[in-house]
Amino acid sequence: MRKNNCEVIRQELDELMLSETGSARVVEHLRECAACREFNEKQTRLRQIVGSLGTVSAPPDFDFRLRARLANDGGGATFHFWPIARRGLAFAAVLLVFVMGALVVRSVFNRPQENKQVAATDQHNNTPAPPTVAPTREPTFARPMAESSPERRPQIVRNERLSRIKRPLVAEDFSNERAPVYNGREPAGTFEVMPLDSSLQSFKVSLDDGRGNARTISVPSISFGSQRMLQPVNQYASKRDW
Amino acid sequence: MNTLTTINELGFAAALQQEMLEDTTSDHALLEATRTGDQDAFAELVSRYRNQITSYIYRMTNDYDGAVDLAQETFVRVYRAADRYQRSYAFSTYIYRIATNLAISELRKRKRRKLVSLTGFFQQNDGAEAQELNPPDARPLQDSELVDTERRNAVQRAISTLPEKYRAPLILRDVDGRSYDEIARILETSEGTVKSRISRARGFLREKMRAYL
Repeated sequence: MRKNNCEVIRQELDELMLSETGSARVVEHLRECAACREFNEKQTRLRQIVGSLGTVSAPPDFDFRLRARLANDGGGATFHFWPIARRGLAFAAVLLVFVMGALVVRSVFNRPQENKQVAATDQHNNTPAPPTVAPTREPTFARPMAESSPERRPQIVRNERLSRIKRPLVAEDFSNERAPVYNGREPAGTFEVMPLDSSLQSFKVSLDDGRGNARTISVPSISFGSQRMLQPVNQYASKRDW
Repeated sequence: MNTLTTINELGFAAALQQEMLEDTTSDHALLEATRTGDQDAFAELVSRYRNQITSYIYRMTNDYDGAVDLAQETFVRVYRAADRYQRSYAFSTYIYRIATNLAISELRKRKRRKLVSLTGFFQQNDGAEAQELNPPDARPLQDSELVDTERRNAVQRAISTLPEKYRAPLILRDVDGRSYDEIARILETSEGTVKSRISRARGFLREKMRAYL
């Protein structure tokens, strides 16, 4: 109880200013408690010493130096451009690194596609033609030629790529169309000689990958003169049609 | 009756004039004038506070040249931020807060740099900043002025070994004689925390100054 009381009294003494006198309770306690009296004396002495430190004067040229400093700071306003420029340069560098990275990644992704393209081309050349059925319309030679033409390669490659990235394909598929069938019973001279377009205009195929990227393949015109149609040699056609 | 009214009016006018005069020379008014480009008003503010701020920072850092530099930096910041100054606090609280922040930053920088001499190793490792070894001279001195000087040096050294969170409130209270409320506003903490820190700081000092008490 007494210890607690001493703590309360000392706390109160601590909070007093040096010039202030404590409450009657504090004065009475100090008269009775020697420990608190000694504490108060030491504390007062310490505070007097600390208080005697006083104020240190600023140097006489303080104002002059301050004015010079303010003037320098005012004159140095143009240098504030540099931190902004530095931040902008840093941002541009980061952007450049990102762009370069994107280009590298893109080139890495594109490289295997070229290999696949070659493979796909080879596979396509070895693939047998689909079974033929009876013709339902006038044969057109441009389509079969385009079907078997190696110029369809880019479309195949693009189809593969598009199926890989799961995008809708915008292309024309010829596999479901019936191919013209020649059984040799046509009147002579009708299809014996198949005229090929030997005009000067080149054959053009335009491909679109569905993302707005169009690619046009131009095949120069080739003249074979005239070609004689052989007897049925379509080895891929179904036997029952013959 | 008529005469009394006149005297009262005269008294009122004098009080009003006095109030207006005080208002135009208050810290707030000077800073307002500084904001509008009045260099003389700022010079007046500097002349009012330069000694107090220099002394306060010196007690905090125990380095006079550094204290002068930091005091100047304090005024530069006041000048630059004059537009953003709000009158919610007393100007003295505002400027002391800037000075305290600068002094504490400097103390932390020093701690990072660890600029202490080899004799600093002889100090007690109580988390306080290392200082030069300068033990109190036990021999009796004849001149009382010399005794006082020696005592003041010792207490300054003892203060500079206090942790910074105890140092600032102790200086503001026991050296500058500021109220707990004002110290709490300067240090942006509660009054209870200030009282507790001052009490702890005095306890540290009593231990260090035992030979002088």
